[in-house]
This record gives sequence, C-alpha cells and structure tokens, in this order.
Amino acid sequence: MSASTLVTEALAVFAKEVRSELRSRVAINAIGLFGLTTLVAVAYQIGPYQIHQQDRPHLLAALLWIIVFFAALSGLQRVFVKEEDAHTAKTLRLAARPLAVWGGKLLFNVVLLAALKTFLVPLYSVLMGMQVASVLPFIVLLAAGCGAMAATATIVAAIIARASRSGTLFAILAVPLMLPLLVMLIAGTRMAMTSPRWSDILPALQGVGALAGVTLIASVYLFPVIWHD
Amino acid sequence: MLCLAAVTPIVVTFSGLGKRFGSRTVLKGLSGELRPRRAVAITGPNGSGKSTLLNLLAGVMRPSSGSVSYLCADSPVPRQRWHALLGVAAPDMAVYEELSALENLRFFARLRGLGRSDGELERLLVELGLAARDVRRPVATFSSGMKQRVKLAQALVHEPAVLLLDEPSSNLDEEGHATISALVERLRGRAALAIATNDPREMVWGDERIHLGH
Amino acid sequence: MTDKAAVGIWHWLLGAWMVLVIYGAFFYAPTAQGFVGESARIVFFHVPQAWVSVLAFCVNLWASLRYLARRDPLDDARAAAAARLGLMFCALATVTGSLFAKVMWGEFWNWDPRQISIVILLLVYAAYFALREAVTDEERRGGLAAAYATLAFVTMPFLVFVVPRIYFSLHPDTLINVRGSIDMDPRMLRVLLASLVGFTGIFVWLYTLEVKLARVLIERRRRGES
Repeated sequence: MSASTLVTEALAVFAKEVRSELRSRVAINAIGLFGLTTLVAVAYQIGPYQIHQQDRPHLLAALLWIIVFFAALSGLQRVFVKEEDAHTAKTLRLAARPLAVWGGKLLFNVVLLAALKTFLVPLYSVLMGMQVASVLPFIVLLAAGCGAMAATATIVAAIIARASRSGTLFAILAVPLMLPLLVMLIAGTRMAMTSPRWSDILPALQGVGALAGVTLIASVYLFPVIWHD
Repeated sequence: MLCLAAVTPIVVTFSGLGKRFGSRTVLKGLSGELRPRRAVAITGPNGSGKSTLLNLLAGVMRPSSGSVSYLCADSPVPRQRWHALLGVAAPDMAVYEELSALENLRFFARLRGLGRSDGELERLLVELGLAARDVRRPVATFSSGMKQRVKLAQALVHEPAVLLLDEPSSNLDEEGHATISALVERLRGRAALAIATNDPREMVWGDERIHLGH
Repeated sequence: MTDKAAVGIWHWLLGAWMVLVIYGAFFYAPTAQGFVGESARIVFFHVPQAWVSVLAFCVNLWASLRYLARRDPLDDARAAAAARLGLMFCALATVTGSLFAKVMWGEFWNWDPRQISIVILLLVYAAYFALREAVTDEERRGGLAAAYATLAFVTMPFLVFVVPRIYFSLHPDTLINVRGSIDMDPRMLRVLLASLVGFTGIFVWLYTLEVKLARVLIERRRRGES
C-alpha cells in the first residue's frame, strides 16, 4: 500500500464532502445556527455585566466550550449518518479503502469545527466581554481542541451510523469520551485568560494533544472494524 | 462500443459459505467460483439469499462460516485491494444525489487512483444510455432509470475484473435492458461476472446457474 | 473431590472471608485520624468497589479485543458480563463515595474530580449498553460494542490520572501517593487488602456464573440450528 495513494484517496473523500456540504449546507446550518442560537441565549441572559470579575475566567471558559461542544454534537455525526441514510455507504465501502474514508471525513470534521470556532469565538469575545491574556497559546489550544474533538466525534459517528443513526445515541456515546477533553480545554482557556505564560497553559495543551493522539491511533485500528461488517 | 482495456484475470473462489442472521440461516455450505470470461446467474425466490451471496462475495458482509478468496494467478489478493478489482451494482446502493453524474464518476475514479478525463467518463455515461445533456445535472433530478445507469457506470468506471450485478436492469425500460444485455455480452469476454436476478430475461445471461432456495 | 464440590467450598470460603472483612472493618481496624467520626471505615468498601469497577472495565476490554480478533460470540458475552458487573460496582462506589462526602463535607456531591471520574465511568458503561440495545444484528452489535469499549478504555486514563492532577481535589490522598509511600495504619491496610481480595472474589464468582449461562445459551442455539 502506498502512503501517497491513501492520502490521495482521503483527499478525494474530503473534496467530495466539501462539495456535497456546500450544496446541501445541512451540517453547516445545524452547527452554525445551533452555536449562534445558544450564544445569543447565553449572552442575553448573562452578558458581560452579570458575572463578577473574579468568576469571569472560570465561567466564561466553561460557557465557551459548552456552546462549542453542543454545537459540534448537533452536526459532526452527519459525515457518516448521511451516507447510511442516503444508501451511499455501501457504494463508498466498495469503492475506497477504510482509512481513506476515515481520513477524508476526519479532515472534513476538523475543517467544520475550525470554521465554527472562527465564527463563534470572536463573536463570543465581543458579546461576553472575554479577554485573553495570551492570545497565541489560546489559538493553539483552540486548534488542538478542534483536532481532538473531531477525532472523537468522527469515530463515534462511524459507530452510531452502523447502529441506530440516532442523534441521541451520538450524544450518549460521545459525552463520556469528550468530558475529559472538555475539562482540560476549560482549564487551559481559563489559564489563557488569566496568565500570559505558555507554561501555565502547557499542562492542558499536553493533555489535549495526548488525548487527540491516542484517539487518532485507536481510530486507525478501530475504524476498519467498524466500517466493515 | 464500450472501450474496455485488458485487465488482470481474477478468480473468485468461495467454499463452505454460510450466513446466519440471528437464528435464521440464509445460506449454508455454498461452494463455487467465478472465473474470467464466465457469467454466473444466481437465481432463487425472494428471501433465498441472492443479495446476501453477492454481499459475501463482495466482502461487505462477513460470512458466518466458510470463506471467500480473490486469486490473481493463484495468489490471493489482500482484502484491502479488492475495491480496485471489483465493481458492484445493487438495489441497496446509491450514488451521491447532490452531485452530478459526471462528478460522481470523477469521485469514484479518483478513489481508485484513476486519472480518467471528463470526456472518457462522459462517454461511459452516454454509452449506458444517459443523454449528454444530463451528465452535468444533479442526480437528485434523475428518474429511477437514469439513477440506475449512473449506478452501473460507477461499477464499471475502473474496468473491474470482477463484476457483481444485483438485478441490473431493474427500473430500466426495454431500451435500457438491451443496453445492459449488450454490456454483459462484452464484459463476458474478459471479466468474472455474477448476476443475481429473478428476471427470466437476465437469467439467460448466465453460462451457468447457482439456484438458491428452500 | 468433584469440581462442583470444590466450587461449593470456594463459595463458602468466600462468604466466610467477607464476614471476616466486615468484622475487621468495624471492630479490628482502628479509627482513622483526620476524618469525621468513624466515616473512614467506608474506605474498606468504597475502594474495593471502585477497584472492581475498573477491573471489570479491563476484563471488558480484554474480551472486546478477543471478540474483534476471533468473532466468537462467547467473547462478546464475556465483555457484556464484565460491563454489567462493572456498572453495578461502579454504582455502588458512587453511592458509598457520596455517603462519605455527606458525612465528611456536608454534601452528597461536591463535583470533586475523583467523583466526576467515577460518574463518567458510569456514563461509559451506560453508553455501552445503550449502544448494544440499539443494534439488532448480533455480530454487528458485538463488533461495535467492542470498538466503543476499546475507545473508552484509551480515553479513561486521562480522566482517572491526568484531570485530578490538574485540579485540586477534596478526595483523600490516594493510598500510594506522589511520595511513593503507603500512609495507612497496618491493621487498616490488612483489612483493606482483605476486602480487595473479597470483592474481587465476588466479581469473579458472578462473572463466571454469567459466562456459564451465556455458554449454555450459545450452545443451545447452535444445536437448535444444526
């Protein structure tokens, strides 16, 4: 098996996902509107003036990631569920190697999450008055969180697509796996808001990076088993 | 005339093949082979396991017993390479409706590492009976017969050595059936072919028959 | 001596052992310093329950990996049995931990990182069974459940080891701490270790029963088909 061929196949899957999504916009609308609606509801109820100064880092960090997390839950499973719903899963199964499918769809979910955060995080900062002491570490944390969340969501989506395709089941399976990630991301964000030092955010970054790494490695072994009966 | 390049002959062998769904046994102790330049018609009443057998031969379903092997010059082909040698069209498969017929074929060709030009892909679609003006329209706007032609095209785009067809002329009119009949006649000259069908017009395409039933 | 007789003796010994553990927990072990009243005695039950819930998780992983390799329905039954028992012991550990928290800190739930980690283990078990219920095809169910169990297992160390070290924890210092020493009265340690052995024995007993039942059901189905 040639590595470049696997990459080419994965990129073909990714390109197809992007083209399909730009035409149907189902996942984009789901996660974008869910994120925006939740943010508006939170900002309206709480806003930048209702939180005491000493509570701001903790609360703002937690609220940000809860909004991102639930927005992600509303749309990331579509990459696999739509294949089963449209009866294209078998066609894809017969036409491509499992890891090419996984790689392409993972990349799509990473891009989708990155787009969500690019749109949501600045808006959140403005509406909730969130100020970050160390911007670059925070951006690195956002990127690492993207990768880790997408890695977990993609493999769980593959599992539920072969089960009941239920959105509820996706949340049930994904929440316990993502909670350690959320805890570390919230801790890292809180640090980024209060401290300009990389060293303060490093433990959280290391945790998120390591979790992303083990999830990716586990996915490489598990996806072919999940994808094929 | 469909332009079909020469491909490596593949023999598909299956022995002791069985499949159980819960407590229901659908297939049991089935053995045989698909050879190049031979067509096998798989017949039987509804629920006899025709589609199940094709799924097992395609490797999308794990057998409860027995095994399936793809042999190239008597050497087994690894499972992860089957997709490059195999073309399948079945009623429970679909193509991407938000893409055009041409975009679908381009995608499936790229997945197999093939650099087919749009002209070649368009020719394949037209020879399967799709009008030239339709190849760039989204598949969602197609009739069921047109979708069936696109489905067949994705099974053929990489000139497979093994072709598994499940009711290939379903949803097609008489002209469509004639197109498929001519296609099968040409493919019989090089590929290993299996056709699962209840249609008497399709049964005659087989050089031999596997009959499943109670 | 027949196998049945040997098993019977082992069950009676286990029962007697647990009676001794309970006696030791309340009368032999001394009162621990730094805890409210006699509340520390719950450690002789809470810690083994938590230990068994993690042990069951490991057995579930082992059986799941075997199923993915061999596709033997008995391995799937083993995985499900371990998960069922793990869920039960995890629930018990949560309850005993909450009782201790109420006595010690005045609230049943303090959102302590260690409390959270045991609840998330509960959620993982619950998710595992929700997935099993959602799949009707037996082979697919076994494969998907095994994949999820493997995924959950690689994620859990972050929750159990990494997160509590990022956050301050109310939870008492773990038995083996960062200094590498065991800070426990020798009598308490003896009772705790005896309780660990006893609870592990209970788990092994119940697990063996479940696997035996599964074996009988699988064999009966095979004979019915042939």
